[in-house]
Amino acid sequence: MTKYKSRLHKGMMDWLLFGAMAGLAFLGALCIMSAVNSVSLSNAVVRTHLIALPLGFTAFFAAWSFNYQIFDEQWKPLYGVILALLVGVLLFGTYQRGSKSWFVFPFFSMQPAEICRVLTILAAAAFLDRQGHHIRDMRTLVLLGALVLPVFGLIMLQPDFSSIVITFPALLVLLYCAGVNVFYLALVFAFAAVAGFFTVAWTYLYLHPELLDYKLLDVFFKLSDHILYMGGFVLLVAVAGYAAWWLFKQLRIFLPSFYFVLATLVVLAGFFAGVFVDHQMKPYQRKRVEAFLAPQSDPQGASYNVLQAQIAMGSGGVLGKGLFSGTQSRLGFVPEKHTDFILAVVGEELGLWGTLLVLGLYLVILWRIAVVAYTASDRYGYLVCSGIFGMFLTYMLINFGMLIGLFPVAGIPLPFISYGGSNLVSSMLALGVVQSVYARRITSG
Amino acid sequence: MSAGKVTFNGRLRVLLALAGIAGAVIALRLADIQLLRHDRYLQLAERNRTQVLYQTAPRGRIFTADGKAVASNAPVFDLYYLSAGPKGEDYLHRLAGDFASHLGMTREAVLDKLQQGVKSGKAVALAENLSPKTAMALKELQLYYPGLYLIEENKRIYPYGIFASHLIGYLGSMEGDEWKNRDLSLDYRLDAKIGKNGLEKKFEKELKGSDGGVFLEVDYRGRVRSVIEDRRWRPGSDIYLTLNFDVQRAAEEGLKNSITGRGAAVALDPRTGAVLALATAPAFDPGMFVPYSDGPQPSSKRISEYNLATQGVYPPASTFKVITAIAAIEQGGFNPEKEVYCPGYYDAGSRVFKCWSVHKHDNFFDGMADSCDVYFYTLAAQTGSAAIEKTQRMFQFGQPTGIDLPGEKAGNLYGPTKRARNRSYWFIGDTLNLSIGQGELLVTPIKMAQFAAALASRGKIWRPYYLDRVVSNQTGKVLQQGKSEVLGTVDIKPSTWDLIYKALKHTVDDGTARRVKISGLDVYGKTGTAQNPHGDDHGWFMAFAGRPGEEPSLAVAVFVEYGKGGAGAAGPIAREMIKAYFGIEDKPSRRARSLRQSVLENADPAALVSDMQKIQAALQQPDGEHI
Repeated sequence: MTKYKSRLHKGMMDWLLFGAMAGLAFLGALCIMSAVNSVSLSNAVVRTHLIALPLGFTAFFAAWSFNYQIFDEQWKPLYGVILALLVGVLLFGTYQRGSKSWFVFPFFSMQPAEICRVLTILAAAAFLDRQGHHIRDMRTLVLLGALVLPVFGLIMLQPDFSSIVITFPALLVLLYCAGVNVFYLALVFAFAAVAGFFTVAWTYLYLHPELLDYKLLDVFFKLSDHILYMGGFVLLVAVAGYAAWWLFKQLRIFLPSFYFVLATLVVLAGFFAGVFVDHQMKPYQRKRVEAFLAPQSDPQGASYNVLQAQIAMGSGGVLGKGLFSGTQSRLGFVPEKHTDFILAVVGEELGLWGTLLVLGLYLVILWRIAVVAYTASDRYGYLVCSGIFGMFLTYMLINFGMLIGLFPVAGIPLPFISYGGSNLVSSMLALGVVQSVYARRITSG
Repeated sequence: MSAGKVTFNGRLRVLLALAGIAGAVIALRLADIQLLRHDRYLQLAERNRTQVLYQTAPRGRIFTADGKAVASNAPVFDLYYLSAGPKGEDYLHRLAGDFASHLGMTREAVLDKLQQGVKSGKAVALAENLSPKTAMALKELQLYYPGLYLIEENKRIYPYGIFASHLIGYLGSMEGDEWKNRDLSLDYRLDAKIGKNGLEKKFEKELKGSDGGVFLEVDYRGRVRSVIEDRRWRPGSDIYLTLNFDVQRAAEEGLKNSITGRGAAVALDPRTGAVLALATAPAFDPGMFVPYSDGPQPSSKRISEYNLATQGVYPPASTFKVITAIAAIEQGGFNPEKEVYCPGYYDAGSRVFKCWSVHKHDNFFDGMADSCDVYFYTLAAQTGSAAIEKTQRMFQFGQPTGIDLPGEKAGNLYGPTKRARNRSYWFIGDTLNLSIGQGELLVTPIKMAQFAAALASRGKIWRPYYLDRVVSNQTGKVLQQGKSEVLGTVDIKPSTWDLIYKALKHTVDDGTARRVKISGLDVYGKTGTAQNPHGDDHGWFMAFAGRPGEEPSLAVAVFVEYGKGGAGAAGPIAREMIKAYFGIEDKPSRRARSLRQSVLENADPAALVSDMQKIQAALQQPDGEHI
């Protein structure tokens, strides 16, 4: 800590963090204008983004001037706001692209899930802050799970798969930094892995019905929606858990029987989460998983999008083709070019320097958030920064990873750069909170 | 919690380090995509956004030495409409009204296509394969209607049909491995036509130009956004051959109209070895292999690619008597005036060898002129087979002529040494057979022409060549130049040549080769009738000619398969070729007179029979084309 403290000097704002954010926002605005240059609704997109930018900066400055500790004190009303927003959108929201996730007002529309991901981190950090020395207990995890489950459930009902994809890893980072027992965290991870495995495997079988000729795979596939098969599976896992306990006992390796019960429960919970997700998945989402599992199988489908995005980036070379002259984006070969695939536009028009600049600015943001976290005057500040760190890290990994073929296409925007007012405002709000932590840090004077 | 003593764990720092590592991995992969794979992706991006309306470049033309284009190109036009330009309903109606009559379509049909184009945003072909005349009219209209493009394509044509078809070859679509093995330095497209045979194949690289086209920028749905470039094609290089148009024409017509319509005729310039004519019958029209959308698909048509002139091997028969004579004269002690009595046969002791007629007393010149077998049996018996084989080797029998064409046959040299090498015996009968060019001796028609040219040039064995030059159409530079090359020289005494010349002249003036006697020319020649145990005999005719007092400038060899006789079948063809070369005009009653003359004067019974048939045919069909 002293290492950071010694460098401290008086200042209300971390200018590096602010500069990186403003730089990304500026670059993003340019690329959006370029990307939609040829689209007929270009004016609408650019106009909306130019309105969202000052709104975002307003949210940033508001959060900055606000004492973040108020979120700690008032975390219960905050949690209530989250639930109210999510229930509200289910009741009064509008369908767009198959999801009921938009509030549409006369002059603008917003996605409450975007603001909720930041608020969820603030509330969860407050909850963890209160756990004190119980932080390593199982109880903490269970209670936190109970807390976020309604949030996730409501988001799933929209459904907005991508919000979960961001918020879940961010919460894991938050838990890790809060000092939760790594064994329990591993269990949570195992839960996610089991759920993910079943989802992916069933999706693959769903898209390749010819594989069901194999008896074993057929049985496996029926687990997803057949109540008898599910019961059989539950029994099987329970027996396996008992058998493992008995085996270890015979081998004279004495572990608390509690561990075996827990492991069995986690596997079962993962299985049912998988069943739930499987039933919620839309065909286009299945296609995306498919494109990731077997990119060659569908050159005109989802992997076609990734290929075209890579062609755009690759054809940009080192220096790029120049703003407003990328053929891949201008002629419509890159899909979602002003939202999820904005990086492809950056790569095509600004070249390797452009993509490295965006990557670099993101790393600067992560670095500054970490620095601010360690200078926070209280534990809550540290936890909030950790959660926000986790959120931006996830955004960066998934967005870049998708373009370079490491992740499936998840339909996730890149904050500050992509078009999308709600995302821009809530991301700037998050960094405003970080600045608020910085402004109220421990100072030597 | 209040500010005070707070301690945080180092876990966030661990994550920051992990984020740094992840950033480095991402940066490396970005560099991989944008730096290392840049060229590949740039190519893909360009391919994405461009669509080309190709304009096939004209292939290089092929000319004869006298400047006639025997392979050329004809333009055909396609009319395209690109909706990137004006597309108001009003405009389309006016356009359809003005163009319908030119395109031979109804106004509604044109309008329908135009509206399709506007709807899809793609380039639509309004009409294809338009004639140049229609295209000229459209070109003027085009000025008033932007958005219309006339695409000029070039179609290969062969104006003279079967002319030198075996030499020129033909075009076809790429099949099998041809696409995979194509020359990547040339801009081939999948539907490109390439040379499949002959010169079209051999000079594919030179003949093929580079295609032009209208390069369009299209979006992801193929809708035309703009015209990037209207690139003009560059034509291929022209090829000039040494062929003489008239001689080749005469040879082909003669062969076509010969008794069987099968054979070959070759004419060389004995001063250079240049090929003046290289004809094989039956021939084909290479034009039928250039299918365009409306024409029939000819891939199923059968043609004879077999080039008899260079690939057919037959016994040279009596034309070989010249070799026997040279061998005898060179050996010394030869008296041309010494007479041999021909009772119609030659007694070789164990076997009797027949002559084709009874000649009574013949000296050397009469023996050659009458093609008396007994005279040459006697000569060979005195000279010996070894000397005859040696002379054959001097004239490079049994070797290919070296003409730059694929698949040329070497023929077969025949003699005691060759026989000994094959571990077999040589009998006196073999010597007698050899002396009159029968037996295992085999030559190709082009070999025979080379032999005639060697006689005409007093001993120069030329490598026949047909390529005069390849000229670039862009720079006008000569890219390749044909060269005349002497493969060897026959080193015999000038007095021997004089005797041979005198004998061959006598053969034309007063012997079996009388058919090629042409006033105003010195013609030398020899007939041959190759015995064929499987059917009718083959006819040979070998001749060379020049203007009086000049060295001979034309050497001819004509072969008619199953022609029954040399003089009757092959002679008239040789005569027409010689006349064509020296530009001697026909007389009106030439046909009937020459036929009658051949009946009366030609002593070759085989030829007599065929000529009788021809006379009858000619009498029945006054307009018939037979000679």
